[in-house]
Parts: sequence; C-alpha cells; structure tokens
Amino acid sequence: MPVIETNELTFLYGEGTPFCKTAVDHVSISIEQGEFLGLIGHTGSGKSTLIQQFNGLLRPTSGRVLLNGKDIWAEPKKIRSVRFQVGMVFQYPEHQLFEETVLKDICFGPQNMGLPQDEAAERAREAARFVGLPDELLGKSPFELSGGEKRRAAIAGVIAMDPDVLILDEPTAGLDPRGRDMLLTQISAYHRDRNNTVILVSHSMEDIARVADRVLVMNGGKAVMLDRTEKIFARGRELESLGLRVPEVTKILLTLREHGYPVEASLTVDQAVEQLLPLLKKGGAFRG
Amino acid sequence: MVRDITLGQYFPGNSLIHRLDPRMKILLTLAFIVFIFVATNFQGLALMLAMMLLVLLLSGVPLSQYLKSLKAVIFIVAFTFVLNLFYGGGDTVWSQHFPGFTMRITNGGISNAVFVAVRIFSLILFSSVLTFTTSPTQLTDALERLMKPLKVLHVKVHEIAMMMTIALRFVPTLLEETDKIMNAQKARGADLESGGFMQRIKSLIPILIPLFVSSFRRAYDLAMAMECRCYHGGEGRTKMKQLHMSGLDAAAAVCSALFCAAVLYCALRFPAALR
Repeated sequence: MPVIETNELTFLYGEGTPFCKTAVDHVSISIEQGEFLGLIGHTGSGKSTLIQQFNGLLRPTSGRVLLNGKDIWAEPKKIRSVRFQVGMVFQYPEHQLFEETVLKDICFGPQNMGLPQDEAAERAREAARFVGLPDELLGKSPFELSGGEKRRAAIAGVIAMDPDVLILDEPTAGLDPRGRDMLLTQISAYHRDRNNTVILVSHSMEDIARVADRVLVMNGGKAVMLDRTEKIFARGRELESLGLRVPEVTKILLTLREHGYPVEASLTVDQAVEQLLPLLKKGGAFRG
Repeated sequence: MVRDITLGQYFPGNSLIHRLDPRMKILLTLAFIVFIFVATNFQGLALMLAMMLLVLLLSGVPLSQYLKSLKAVIFIVAFTFVLNLFYGGGDTVWSQHFPGFTMRITNGGISNAVFVAVRIFSLILFSSVLTFTTSPTQLTDALERLMKPLKVLHVKVHEIAMMMTIALRFVPTLLEETDKIMNAQKARGADLESGGFMQRIKSLIPILIPLFVSSFRRAYDLAMAMECRCYHGGEGRTKMKQLHMSGLDAAAAVCSALFCAAVLYCALRFPAALR
C-alpha cells in the first residue's frame, strides 16, 4: 500500500515574477509503506523542493500529495499533524540544536505533539539508543558534543516523534568514513526494526546502493527514473548523462560487461567479489 | 559576490545620478535636507519641489518605487497634518463649537500643515534617491572617506566602515540561515503562528539560539580567514575601486549650489508662510 503518493505535483518558485522557475515539474510517484527509497539527482534537480512538499513545509503550486490516501492540504490548519507523521531531517541538522540538554532537545518534537513529559522523555531515550548516543551524553549541553554526536542527537530529535515516514537529506555529509558507516548501519537497523518508510537523499551513490530498495532519480524537476536499485544502477550510461555516477564497483562491472565478460552489475564489493572470483579462477582470459 | 548584494533598496542602473560619486551624493543629499528647512515660504518650497522632481526623473528609478517608499510614513504625515490644521494662528476658516471648547481651522494652520507634510515627504524622497542609486558597498566606501577627518578625534573610521560592510554582507546569509532553521524546527512541530504574545516570544527561542550559535561560528571563521590574508586594519590599505570625482560631480555641485542659493534668496526676499 502506498504511504505517500503524488499526483502531478508541481512547484514554482517566484510565481508571477520574471524570475519564475519550475522546481518540481508534474511529478507523479508512489512510495510504498515500509520501503527504503533512495533519492538522487544533481544539485538543483528539485530533490529538496520535492521532499519539503511531502511534509507540508512547502505548499504545491498545483497537484496533490496524498499521505495514506488523504490529501495533506485538505485541512491546512492541521498541517502540523502531517509533520509528525512525515519526519524530516534536514542537511546539517546539528545546526538546529538549541536546548540546555541533549535529552530536552530530543524531547522538543514529542512535546510539540502534546505528549506528557515522561512519555516524551521515554521516547527520547529510545530514539537516542537507535542512533547510538550513549546515555551519559543525554544530560550534557548539545553544544559540548562532537560533530558526529551532534548529528546523531539531531536525528534522534526527529526519530523520537516516531514518524511513519522518515526523510533524511544528506545525513552523512561531512562525516568521516567511520561515522558515515555507523550512521548508515543505524538508519537501516531503525528501518528494519520499526518497519516504517525511509527516504534517503544522498549524493553518495555508494550509500544509496548499500541501503536503498528502490531509487528515484530526479532531473530538471522531473522524476526521470523510479525502479529497484540494481536496475537503476545497471543504467550507468544514462545516469552519467544526467550528471550522476554509479558506485565505483558497479562501474567496473558494467565496463567489464561492455567488454563481453559474463557479469551482472552489482552494487556492493561483496557481490562483485562473488562474481569476479570464479572468473579469475578460470584464468580471466575468457571472452564471451 | 559582494557586488550583487540584493539588500536594501539599491536599484541598479546607469543614470546620471547613478554615475555621481557616492561622496558627492551623500553631501548633496545632506545639503538638500538642510535646505528643505531653509525654505520657509511657498516660493522656496516650489523651487525645492522642482529640484526634487528633476532629480527623481534623472535617477531613472520608476516613480512607483518612490511612492512605495512614501507608504511607510503616510500615517505619520496624515497624523501631523491633521494636528497642525487645528493649531495655527491667523484668520479662522472653519469652526465648530463643542461643549467646553471650540475647534477651529485657520489659514495659518493650513499652511503649517502643508509645509510639514511636504517637508517629511521631501526628506524621505531625497534619502530614497541616495539609497536607490547607490549600492550599500559604495555607500560605506563613501562614508569611510567622508569620515576620515574624524581620525584626528581618534574615531576608528576604517573599523566602523569595515563593520558596516560585513554587517551588510551577512544580512542575506543570515536571512537564508533563519529560513533553514525555521523550516527545521517547523518540521519538528514548532508552532510559530498561533498562541498569545508570550507564547509567540517563547516559540522564537528554538530559532534564535541556533541563529546566535551559527552567527558566532561564522564570525570566528571570518576572523580566521581575514587573519590568514594578513588583514591588519586600515593602516596603509589601498582600495581596489578608487572613488574619483569627475566633471559630472562638479556640474551637479554647481547646479545644486545655484538651486540652494535661489531657495535662500526666496527665504530672505519673501515673507515666511510658516508661523
């Protein structure tokens, strides 16, 4: 069952002025309950504008966004409740921390939902566990944390609202490889555990290849591809023409394939090894 | 980057007024503002208005923009206009008895009211010409140059100008940042639109604190970048864009001086309409 559906969704910036720009152009897609969707596209392709319409931060110029089958703008006064169901983690979310303690900051969302204090705190602790924040950090000021810890705290602040759909905009930007790895692992674990929908916006094709079930490709405000991850990355040449790349491993295998080797485009190093080892054992001289 | 700051009211163009040296523009604006108050009779006022119309047309900025800038003061002008109507000397034009007092409008009151209204409007319009035709960076440059003599009094002219430039430069950046933080807090269900006065003040905290934090971070970064480029204040510093007075500026100065002299002549020659 689709959790988010868009219907000819269009968003114009500066409507009615000479600087009018179409940021999202008649996008009709449907996102299934429980799936992990990757969203890629080069800068200015309309990714951010698209996701900000999913939780009602931007109101579409035309077209509709359906959340669980209901138009989110049917009752504009109740748009806040949509934001609790569709949680959004912005780029560099650590810049939004403001409370005295980490725990209070994570509680901000749940308290805005109207939850009593103890329940909000309980949710906050649970969310902190999900992102791997140790308990002893919760009493500290968020400004004392390291960069990576701040990032986790800010993500926990959104997870604590227990949204049906979690949208993350470049959550790993600026983290070191280890931090990146851990965060991605935790996000996938969260996804498996809660079985809710996650949308991950990223410029890192490796990240997307690792975690996403399906991938949506945006270009010039249009949704140009939406398919299973391995099928999307098998179309390496098309992606390159859109200014995107495929993961390095996939690229190597695709090139081998073009040279006639019997391999499939794989997304991770492990899958590639499985395919390449038998070939190497045969002596590598085989050409189809 | 700094050149195309879209801040304030600057209206890019290449009119005569745009091409004037910003220092000359500041000085002339000041002179005109002073002479609005020198004109105490209708002859002088008419001259000032003629001068203003000429400048407005020369600036090449659409007149509708000027009207927009008047909107902000329309309430004050209407208020003082009405108040002045009833507090003037001279012959009574209209009167109405109320129990306990009499309201009367006199011809002196009318001319006072007109004068005050025209003066406030002219004040706004002359300064609008300056801000419409001079970019913020040009303005601070010119101010720095004009305030240079104050160095004798140990006023840190260069530092003040640098602070103004930096402040102007970061206004758009901070606006963008505010927008981002507001969106992030709204996504966490922050309610910025409803509630009473205190409630609204409180709801600003989640926005102001991150904004402060990021402003400090930017300030440190900027200071570091400036030190890396050996910035050490105004001592011996030269300008990439030198300000030059040209024949155009001289012509503008002469024309304005003639106009001001005429206004002064009117003020001395004809009786004052103000009392």
